[in-house]
Formats: sequence, structure tokens, C-alpha cells
Amino acid sequence: MTGKKKLKVHFKPDNVEIVVDQGENLLQAAIAAGVRIYASCGGAGTCGTCKVQIEEGEVETTRTDKISDQEFSKGIRQACQSRVLSDLSVYVPVESRLEKAVLAREQKQVSEVLATGWRFVPPLTKYFVELPSPTLDDNTSDLSRLLRGLRQRYRLSNLSIDFHVVQKLASTLRDGNWKATVTTLVTAVKPRAGDRRRPRVINIEAGDTRDKHHSLAFDIGTTTVCGQLLDLNRGRVVAESMAYNGQISYGEDVITRIAYCQKTGGLKKLQQAVVATINGIIEELQAQSKVDAERIGHLMVAGNTTMTQILLGLNPQHLRLTPYTPVANFFPPVPASSLGIKAGDHAQIFLFPAVASYVGGDIVSGIVGAGVHQRKVLTFFMDIGTNGEIVIGNSDWMVTASCSAGPAFEGGGIKHGIIAAEGAIEDVEINPSNYEPKVGTIGSVKPKGICGSGLINAVAELLATGVIGQNGKFNQNLPTKRVRPSADGYEYVLAWAKETQTGSDIVITEVDIDNLMRAKAAMYAGCKTLSKSVGIGGCDFDQVVIAGAFGSNIDVKRAITIGLLPDLPEERFIFIGNGALLGARLTSFSTDLLDDARRVAQMMTNLELSENVDFMNNYVAALFLPHTNAEEFPTVSKRLASKSNNNPKERIKV
Amino acid sequence: MAIEIPKTTYTGKIKEIKLGKDEKAVVVGGESCYPFYLFEGEMPHLPRIAMEVYDSPPEEWPEAALEPFAGITDDPAAWARKCIDDYGAEMLCLQLASTDPNGLDRGAKEAAEVVKKVADAVDVPLIVWGTANHDKDVEVFRKVTEVCHGKNLIIGPVEEGDHKQLGAAAIGYQHTVAASTPIDINLAKQLNILLGNLGVPDELIVMDPTVSGIGYGIEYAYSVMERMRMAALTQQDDKLQFPIICNIAKEVWKAKEAQISEKDDPTMGDAKKRGVLLEAMSAMCLLIAGADVLIMRHPEAIKLVKDMMAELTAA
Repeated sequence: MTGKKKLKVHFKPDNVEIVVDQGENLLQAAIAAGVRIYASCGGAGTCGTCKVQIEEGEVETTRTDKISDQEFSKGIRQACQSRVLSDLSVYVPVESRLEKAVLAREQKQVSEVLATGWRFVPPLTKYFVELPSPTLDDNTSDLSRLLRGLRQRYRLSNLSIDFHVVQKLASTLRDGNWKATVTTLVTAVKPRAGDRRRPRVINIEAGDTRDKHHSLAFDIGTTTVCGQLLDLNRGRVVAESMAYNGQISYGEDVITRIAYCQKTGGLKKLQQAVVATINGIIEELQAQSKVDAERIGHLMVAGNTTMTQILLGLNPQHLRLTPYTPVANFFPPVPASSLGIKAGDHAQIFLFPAVASYVGGDIVSGIVGAGVHQRKVLTFFMDIGTNGEIVIGNSDWMVTASCSAGPAFEGGGIKHGIIAAEGAIEDVEINPSNYEPKVGTIGSVKPKGICGSGLINAVAELLATGVIGQNGKFNQNLPTKRVRPSADGYEYVLAWAKETQTGSDIVITEVDIDNLMRAKAAMYAGCKTLSKSVGIGGCDFDQVVIAGAFGSNIDVKRAITIGLLPDLPEERFIFIGNGALLGARLTSFSTDLLDDARRVAQMMTNLELSENVDFMNNYVAALFLPHTNAEEFPTVSKRLASKSNNNPKERIKV
Repeated sequence: MAIEIPKTTYTGKIKEIKLGKDEKAVVVGGESCYPFYLFEGEMPHLPRIAMEVYDSPPEEWPEAALEPFAGITDDPAAWARKCIDDYGAEMLCLQLASTDPNGLDRGAKEAAEVVKKVADAVDVPLIVWGTANHDKDVEVFRKVTEVCHGKNLIIGPVEEGDHKQLGAAAIGYQHTVAASTPIDINLAKQLNILLGNLGVPDELIVMDPTVSGIGYGIEYAYSVMERMRMAALTQQDDKLQFPIICNIAKEVWKAKEAQISEKDDPTMGDAKKRGVLLEAMSAMCLLIAGADVLIMRHPEAIKLVKDMMAELTAA
């Protein structure tokens, strides 16, 4: 290549080193070295989450306003804005690190299997046959012999055979002394349309291998990827693992990723990043379960439309351009090996069908897992992730929409926001008499930031104690040092520097509150618009199903207080945790549910909110705590009213 | 066979708000039907028109607008008296244009003196309008409300950004606030809630939805006002049951169509007639959308609007 000088970059505290060309981008160098740095804007220099400290050596930096003078003088730079000029020693501070360990924290046990009435008939099936050896009297072909055996023993007919099975047929049958195990796979059909299922023979193994019968279920999220190894004989989860989606270092949300795909080689990079994440999880599952990945014949994958297309190497560019068209909603099974996924050579990937550009297979999967399509009761389903998708409906009809809520629920765009990870403030209580907070963190360690559910709790408490008004602005006349002016307007100090891991105060700013209000307003306005579009007046749902790993950590009462969830009795809310993974697991167990997924994707009507006038109106109405129309949140309004009656005069100071 | 004309069922009523003090005080609001739908309900108080007075000689007014006030535009008190004595004004609006930090930037104390002088010279209700610069308005109105303690001025624009300070001043010195929001029904309601939370009693609130003249988006203002009235009268939305004030003169007379002289563009026709009609027609649109108080400029435009109101309400 070019004669560029080679330089060494050493990253602490991981203590890894990488050799790069002079002038290489420091964030790229970190990614290449396997150092995981949080870069929510994808390297555009706008988020300020990828700050690192240059301990030794020299970089050339384009300085932005994300670096204060004090930080600059300490050698703190944005990795994405820095180019390597000499050998370097770089320290990655705690708040910039993406830690894997934190993901492993116990999710609340909320995964409820709500889908009912399905038969345990996995789409992936194994059949053991003993065939008579060929003789001169019976010298039919090996394949005919196999098909005859399957027909006689299992009444299997109408099979299709993968060519690579034929290729290894002769040797496998003879190796096993005419005893062999055949793996078949079926895809979804429309049962009522009279479609006939045509099993496809995807593998043949010598001898009886029926006891080794496994598949994988995956949820490919924008932020995290979760995988489960399933035992298809016993219908249970053998091992489970999660990791951050390797694409995070290229941007936090789908729009940034889609934009990245438009760069030369960008799509390939992102595809490889997620495949590497999947392979990492498969390795981990293998290690946990001692199941050989070669034995895995089937992967069931649920992801949003963007994640699905990137995984398949399909350019997602049209997803973000009006009129927002996906490449396809239904995908045929894809050989895992063709994508570089390390499962059996014969392994096939099923992707959940999508509905629209911003309502993907993950939602279909969640709906199937939650059994929404099986019940007559009016259900409101919400998946709160990097984007918020909602569905209203029952067994007869469903409408869906994507509410561009933004990343606030995952800590994005929040001054001290972090992903729900160890050290994230999750619980906040504020004493109404002296405005002092009591904070609880994940892992009960010193706080290093605040996660989405923590933010909801904090804002609900600030509202309930009158520290902020219904417009989300701070009351500046309170007798507390915790409310103070700053460069971004007023802020509230959740934790003083001496109490934190980062050594700086952790605060909530007016801008943070504003971002959260926008996110919750988008979700609630989406719900209202959708319910009105089908002629339901209010939000009086029989049940509210909340999916998303984030969702399972929400405090219902407080989420109602800020107007994120409709004001309904608590018992109507059901948390299913990771709905996409749940659906992927259940469809791996039941062909019935696989058919259902196809049907659900077809029956959902997508409503595009981005150009909906009613949505904009509902959105502005929801940009208030809890809402402009107090009567929609009767219990909250009552609480707040009793509060403001206590001290109306105190706040009136000229 | 007789045809039965369908009627709207009203479940709400606009609050009656008293503006000003003593004998010449006026009451606005009280409607129990859509504007001028007298066959369906009542409009106990006809909409009022407040004539504009500026605290400094206007610089960009076209000739037609200046002419009725020739010779007195440098004396706000005299100007105010002329409006009442010669043109029969039943309300006034003193525009504190000179306090604009981007203009003359006159100080709070001086502004308050002018307001006091005008307020003492007249007995009709007085609206005092700032520049919508929050910091400056807070400073000016602190002083103004204090020196005019008890006169029940109507102060505006009171916006979300300064509602706490201005709202507190209004409560403290007994004035009415004009709660001003940028052409959005939800934002209007939100500000009314915030003022309520602050402790501003309902009797001291009127709403300014932000309006514009014909040709400059009056349809938006119209439709927002119409929806406010629908929510207030048919959906019992008590946070929108306030009288509406429209600061329309400024918007009309700054438009090119009102400013340009006949000499500069003969196809536009007589400048005075044009300006007067534009103001009168814009005001009429807003009346039909639900305005309770109109801030207007030209005496002839005001007369046209009054005639129209009289016709609409004739038995």
C-alpha cells in the first residue's frame, strides 16, 4: 500500500495494542483493536460519548464544543475526531466504555409465554431410518432408497432434497451401515388457503443422531443482540447469551447506520460487525452447553427491518427515504454459511417477516410470542427500544406504527445518559420536604450515569415533588442547592462528584427532560393516533403488553406519572421482556406459530406517522407532564392537584 | 313539512372576565355559542376593540395610518385621549415599542412612567403590550405593574418563558394577563394550566393565540381559534374557556399590501382604502373565529367592524 508510517497505539485499561497507519482515525483504531468505545453518533463528532484521554503521544484533533477547556488541557479528546500522529498511549475512561459484563445482569424474570394452544411441532425435524442394503435384486438408487424408507416409516412424501445432501448421500449411508438420520425443515404456509407443506431435506447424518437436535433463536436489536440455544427434543432453552451489537461503534440508531451503509464498503462493514456479534454469541452458547455448532440446523432471527436488511447484505437506503420501502417483507430461508454465520453447513436462517420500513420482524415476533393474535381482548402492545413501535388490535385486526421516540429511553441524547449497565442510576426517590434524592444503581455500585428507566423515575419524582413544573422546567425558587443554573439551562444534581465513579456531578438538565418528554410524547401520541384511526376513542385497553428489555425495568406508576403509559389500573400491564426473542423461541418450537407469524405480518396495517397531521397535534398535546388534557390522566392529575394545593403561595415570588 | 335545522349542543361557556377598573370597566366573554350564532345561544358581551397607542412616534407606519393621529404621536397621553374623545375608544392598547432591546431599548423606569401617565389620563381599560423579549419584559413589567398597582391593566404578551415572573407580578399588583402562545391549541392550553399552577386566578386570564393578517396565514389563526372555541363550548375544556384577545393591527399594517403607496405601485389602488379594508377584513375574520378583544389602529377600519357587528347582532 502506501508508504505511511506505522504507529503503535496502546489502549488502557484493556492493555491492548494495535499497529496503525499514521493519520488513522482513533475510533477506528479502537474498533480494530477490539476496544469497545461508545460512539452514539457514529463518529460524526456530535455526541461526545467517545471521549478518551491521550496519556502519551500526539494526535491531531478537530475540536468541537463537546470538549471543555478543562478537559482539553487534561488531554481528553473525542476519539472519532482524532487522528494518530505518533505512538500513543490512550486511556478509555469508564463512561466511554461499552462493557459486556453489564449486559449479563439478571433481567427481571418477566418473560411470560402468553401464546397458547400451540402444538410442539418444531419446523426443524429429525427422522431416523434403517434401510435395507442394496442387492442386485434391489439396486434402486441411494436416494430412492432413502425416500422409500422415509415414506414407509414416517409416511413422509412430497419432499424436496438439497443438492449437498445428494452429494454426501452415498458415503453417509454406507458409513452408517444404512442407518442414517435425516433433518427436514418446513416453512410457513397459509393453512386456510390450502397450502401444502413441503418438507425440505437439509441434512443427512450417519447413524442415529436424534438426541442431538438443536436450533438457535436470535433477537438482533439495534443496541443488543440476544441468542438462545434450544433443545428441540425437550423444548427448552439450553443456553442464553447477549452482547452489544457490534454496529454500535458505527452509530447508535438505525438512521445513522443506514447513513453509514451509503459510504463505500459501509454496508459490508456493518454486516460483518453483526455477523461477528452473532458468531461470538454462538461460541459462548457452545461453550456453555457443549453442543457442537455443527449440529445446529436452524436459526430463527427476529430483527427490525433495518437490522434484517443489513444482516442479509441488502442496502437499507430506501428505508429512510420517502415513501419508505423495504426490499422485501417475506424472506426465503437463507443458508447461514452464505452470511458467514458459524453454524452447521446445512443450517438455514429464517427471518421473521416485516410489516414496513419501521415495523419489523421483531414486532411480529413479539406479537406472536405475546399471543396478541390469539385473543379477542383489545390489546395495546408496545416495544420500547431504540425506536418505539406500537400495535393495537386483537385476533381479528391489528394496526401498527413506529413512533420515532429517539434514543432517550436507552440513555441516548441525555447529558449523563448511559445504557442500562452497571453503575447506571435506575431508581430515584426524592424527599418532598428537602428535595434530597435517594438513588439506586444497577449492581449497587457508585453511579456513573443514568439509564432510561432511571430517567423516567427521576422525572416522575421531580414532577411529583414540584421540583419541575408540568412543562418540564425547573422551579428556580426552591431552598436546595441541587437545582442550579448551568450552560444548558437549569439542572438538578442527582449525585455529587464525590459519590460518583466518574468524579463529576451527575445531573439531569432541562434539555434531558425535554428529550425524555419528546420521547414519551411520541409514544403516547402514536398510541392516540393509532387508536383514533381505528375509531377507538381513548386508551381504555383491556391489556397493555410491554416488550423490550428496557420495558421490563419500567416502574408502571411512574411511567404513568410522566404520561408515557396510559392511566390504567396497574394489573392491566403485562411485561414480556424481550418479546422478539420470545417469539423467535416459540416459533422454533411450533410450526403453528410460524404460520401465525406469517399471518400476523400480513394482517397488520401500518400507519405512517411521520406525515400525519393528527399525530403532530397529539404530539404537542403530549409534550406536557403528564399531558395537556388532564382528564386523560385522572389519577396523576388528582395527585398533582393535591400537591399544588398544599403550597400555592410559596411559589409566587415577584 | 317543516324542516328542523340541526343545532349544536353546547355544554360549556366562556368565562366572563372584567377588564379595567371602575365605571368604564368592561366585561368580555360569557359566550354560550359559537361567534354570532345567536340562534343557538348567547353572546352577553359584544367583542371590544382596543385602539393602539405607541409609546414613541411610530417609524414605519404608512401615511394612511398616521394621518388620524397627526401631531400627537410623540405624546402617548394626548394620543390616548384623542382615541377616546375623537374616536370613541372603549379600550386602549399601549404598545411599549420603545423598550425593544433591538431598537431604542428604553429602560424599565422610563417605560413605567409613560404607562403611568397614560393610565392616569384615561379611564377606559388599558392593555400594555411588551416586546416579547423575556428578560426585558420581565424587567419592564415589574416596574409597570408596581406603579399601576390596582389599575387592572391587561399585560402581555405573557409567554411560557416568562409566565412565572409576569404571572407573579400580575397577582401581586392585581392585573390581568394575556397568555400568549404561538398558534397552537395545545400550547395555549398548557400555558393556561401553568398559570393556574402558579396561582393566577381564572378571572385574571385572557388568551392571545398569536394572529396574522389576511394573506399572511390568517387561516392558521382562524382554525386554531375555532378549535379553541369548539373545545371550550362543546367539550367542556375549562382550560380553554377564556376570552381571546387578538393583536391584529401591527400584523396588518406592516404587510407590503398596506405599506406600499399608490405612487410606487399604481395597480394596488388607493393606499388608504386598501389599508383600512385589509385591517377591517382581517379583524372581521378573527371576530368570526372567536375574538373577544381586537387591538386595532385605523378609526375607519374600527367603524367598519363595529357596523358589521351591529348588523350581525341586529334582532
